[in-house]
Amino acid sequence: MNKQGNIETIELSKTIKGRSLWVDARRRLFLNKAAVISLITLVIIATVSIFGPFFLQYNFSDTDWGSIYQPPSFKTGHYFGTDGNGRDLLVRILHGGRLSLSIGLIATFVSVFIGVIYGTIAGFFGGKLDIFMMRIVEILYAMPYLIFVIILMVVFGRNIYFLFIAIGAVEWLTMARIVRGQTISLKEKEFIETSKALGQSNSLIIIKHIIPNLAGPIIVYITLMVPSVIILESFLSFLGLGVQEPLTSWGVLISEGSREMETAWWLLIFPGSFMVITLASLNFIGDGLRDAIDPKEY
Amino acid sequence: MIKFIIKRLIIAIPTLLIIIAFGFIMMRIAPGGPFTNERALPPEIERNIQEAYNLNKPIYEQFFIYIKNLSVGDFGPSFKYKDFTVKELIVSGLPVSATLGLSSIVVSLFLGSILGIIAAIRKNTYFDYTIMGISLVGICVPSFVMAPLLSLFFGLYLGLLPTSGWNGGNILNLILPIIALSLPQIAVISRMMRASTIEVLNSNFIRTAKSKGLKSSYIVRKHVIRASILPIIEYLAPASAGLMTGSIIVEQIFGLPGIGRYFVVGALQRDYTLVSGVMILYASLLIILILITDILRAYLDPRVKI
Repeated sequence: MNKQGNIETIELSKTIKGRSLWVDARRRLFLNKAAVISLITLVIIATVSIFGPFFLQYNFSDTDWGSIYQPPSFKTGHYFGTDGNGRDLLVRILHGGRLSLSIGLIATFVSVFIGVIYGTIAGFFGGKLDIFMMRIVEILYAMPYLIFVIILMVVFGRNIYFLFIAIGAVEWLTMARIVRGQTISLKEKEFIETSKALGQSNSLIIIKHIIPNLAGPIIVYITLMVPSVIILESFLSFLGLGVQEPLTSWGVLISEGSREMETAWWLLIFPGSFMVITLASLNFIGDGLRDAIDPKEY
Repeated sequence: MIKFIIKRLIIAIPTLLIIIAFGFIMMRIAPGGPFTNERALPPEIERNIQEAYNLNKPIYEQFFIYIKNLSVGDFGPSFKYKDFTVKELIVSGLPVSATLGLSSIVVSLFLGSILGIIAAIRKNTYFDYTIMGISLVGICVPSFVMAPLLSLFFGLYLGLLPTSGWNGGNILNLILPIIALSLPQIAVISRMMRASTIEVLNSNFIRTAKSKGLKSSYIVRKHVIRASILPIIEYLAPASAGLMTGSIIVEQIFGLPGIGRYFVVGALQRDYTLVSGVMILYASLLIILILITDILRAYLDPRVKI
């Protein structure tokens, strides 16, 4: 009798412990080897970029005319060599990493913010408003977006805070489209109808019911957008329109490196590899998340 | 069909007008004009310059003058290259950029779709893994890293190809820029093509074709490609936009005298007319491309209502 009771409680606790969508997604993500390795790599790169400079003997803007274009060597402490001003490349790469990664995150956040609000409004209210808003998105799509950013940078000056916003402001288009599509299918669902019947206001419905249900596609899209933002920033810096000296980003370093590559290969190879590894990791994580969160849809 | 094209054109014109207006306004509200120097000019000279370039008129009047000139193909004089009009600069750069862009589009469409189809047919073999691995490299290595590496390796170490320069359009000078420009697109297109071909290969009409006893090479040529190429057609416009922006970088690295270089120089020096001219050119090209894409899709996929 006693024994049977035990079994019942065990079974009960088993049934109570359900698996939510997110637990399930996490399990699937951790089964994906490429995604896990990429996640670890990315965390290492981010940690090293944030804390690494404190442990190195050189400062990112210290010039040393006695040791310009030093090849990588353990003896001098310039593990990745030095550039044309005698600055230590490793410290500069780590500082560049801070900037590139934070631009990636902040600009993505800006564009997700704009895109989600724009997309939910267009999708939720529909009708003429929707047509009008999507018309604008289409017009902006027809613009070569890099040129758009270059013009913004030219007009508002080369300020790095503005760079965050400028990049975010052009990258929201796809987000808006995805969110609009999802919102349109969501708003026909019963629970939204119920909220309406209960007299909830439209803004509350959007914030409380629609946006939380968009979390999956948004998260997937974020991981795929961060690398494209990092590339965009590097692209601008490469052309001399992004981050200005003595601040640095991976794009600036690669741009300098490509000019000096014939004499100093390390100036191109090291920042290039850091960037490529980061981009590859982000892509793998994005793919993994997409398979984990929405195995059927894609 | 004609009605459809006209309808798209009617939508395209206001789009273009808005883009022109945007470029115009942005460049005008920019702090620092083309004639702001560290040393101030005498007021008389400044007034004369402003009059010569219509800068003293109200902004809407400047805009109408600009549109009027545009409609006859006059982009105005370049503010920085003193003896050139923007049209002359564009005309001198266009052959370079067009050669580069068109050959890259052809190369990436051709190679991308062929590799994608083969990878799909030989799914999960080493061939497939190799192609997908290469395409991953194409996606993760941006063109401004790939281009210097290519010129370092093939140009400097192997000494096979010239590292930079146009050299009158010599084919050897074009190889590296075209590779650098099309590699990312080949990567994306081959992945899309692989995914869509796999989907088509599993569909009912292919099974029917197989059960009729058709040769598999015939099935691929006649049935599979026509269906699986649709997403690629859709991707044509974004791909071209990517090539346009990519060409800015590639022209810079390989020292090619194309439009992209003028654009960068113009942007750095606040050459209003040059930058808006190039932007309008790129935007119109894109709009035309989107139109072509729509028509092609309607032609290939009879289910699309036009």
